[in-house]
Amino acid sequence: MASDSSAVRKVVVHLRATGDAPILKQSKFKIDGSEQFAKVIDFLRKQLHKNTLFVYVNSAFSPNPDELVIDLYNSFGFDGKLVVNYASSMAWG
Amino acid sequence: MEGGGATEAQKFVWQGAIPLQIHLHESEVTSLPAPPPLMVLAPRIGYLPLLASQLKSHFGGALPPGVDTIWFEYKGLPLKWYVPVGVIFDLLCTEPERPWNLTVHFRGYPANILIPYESEESIKWSFINSLKEAAYIINGNCKNIMKMAQSDQVDLWNSISKCNLEAYIRISSKLKLRIIDDDFTECLISRSSGETDSAGSARTGRVPVRLYVWTVGEDFTDADDAPQVYDWDKVSYVNRPVEYQNKGKYFSLGDAVKLLLPNYFKEKPQIDSETKTEVEDEHTNADEGVSNSSIQTKTTCSFPKARLMFVRVQGIVPKLEVPFSWVVNNLMNPDYFLHLCVCIKVSQ
Repeated sequence: MASDSSAVRKVVVHLRATGDAPILKQSKFKIDGSEQFAKVIDFLRKQLHKNTLFVYVNSAFSPNPDELVIDLYNSFGFDGKLVVNYASSMAWG
Repeated sequence: MEGGGATEAQKFVWQGAIPLQIHLHESEVTSLPAPPPLMVLAPRIGYLPLLASQLKSHFGGALPPGVDTIWFEYKGLPLKWYVPVGVIFDLLCTEPERPWNLTVHFRGYPANILIPYESEESIKWSFINSLKEAAYIINGNCKNIMKMAQSDQVDLWNSISKCNLEAYIRISSKLKLRIIDDDFTECLISRSSGETDSAGSARTGRVPVRLYVWTVGEDFTDADDAPQVYDWDKVSYVNRPVEYQNKGKYFSLGDAVKLLLPNYFKEKPQIDSETKTEVEDEHTNADEGVSNSSIQTKTTCSFPKARLMFVRVQGIVPKLEVPFSWVVNNLMNPDYFLHLCVCIKVSQ
């Protein structure tokens, strides 16, 4: 999808394992705000070598994969980062 | 809305349906003669794969052996299954094509373009998460949905898939997701006895909005003449809440959209041409004494000639002067998001 021209700022994503999901060595990374959330999910799938993965924001909901990271950060981020939880089984119905 | 039953506009929204003529893709036809297309009414608030059982029973006999994964296509563009049918139609079919001709596939799922689809559970999951996201925007958390009884969650989903507005209102009112007061029809709606905190006081609220924005370079007079969208890459998907302050100041649909798209529109929307000439005058007349306001005007508006052409919501193109609160309370989707298709003209 086309992105806003000003949304080039980087967003810090803080990854947190939930349940029996393995903890990643690198729990924080920066991502372009104009990227879609799908990119975060892809990154986690590759890191964890899992196809089935449940990915949440603020231990609350799974965003639509098309949503821009900058939009999620602006709406749900705090302390300068976006908290993303991941689990190998459904954690929050 | 809560406790007050459905508004007339809500009933129209829930009764709204798109007449579809669905063809099975020729590569999946193994019978002779080929099966005729299926005519079906798809509710606006529903999702395309909810038609799966009807389509399977119509086309099933013609399919080659294999495993079914249903997906839809319009003029070569795979359709996102988690976008409500009415929104896809408003976005992609600007000319009144009725019935709307779509192609269904049961094989060859385009996993590089669409997120995986497994079953109706996938749509339910997507819907509930969208609802949770909306609740988070409205209340700062989504505990009300997470604490929902399993039976209520099932009933809520069934109310969507079966288009039962009464059942939907009965269950969704338990979620206490009151967004904003409707300044204009509020006095007509009886409040439920349980609510005491919001009565009368000036409220601020955050309204969950999903915008589907496409830009055009040419003028046109009728929304139906707008250039068509054939590619998801041409659509900006913007998710930003509207910070709504009910302070007695008139706030329109057009104001809300411009507020959400600061890249295109200045913070304080004014008539573009007037603002522009003012800025030019100050530049020519006052070399040193350029006021702060003119500098801000220059920097905050990266598209000086952007013009909001129209906003399409639930199949209508409301005047941009319509009160935003009315639009929210009457035209939002059952996931508590207001889905707006926005067309902007940009001349570089």
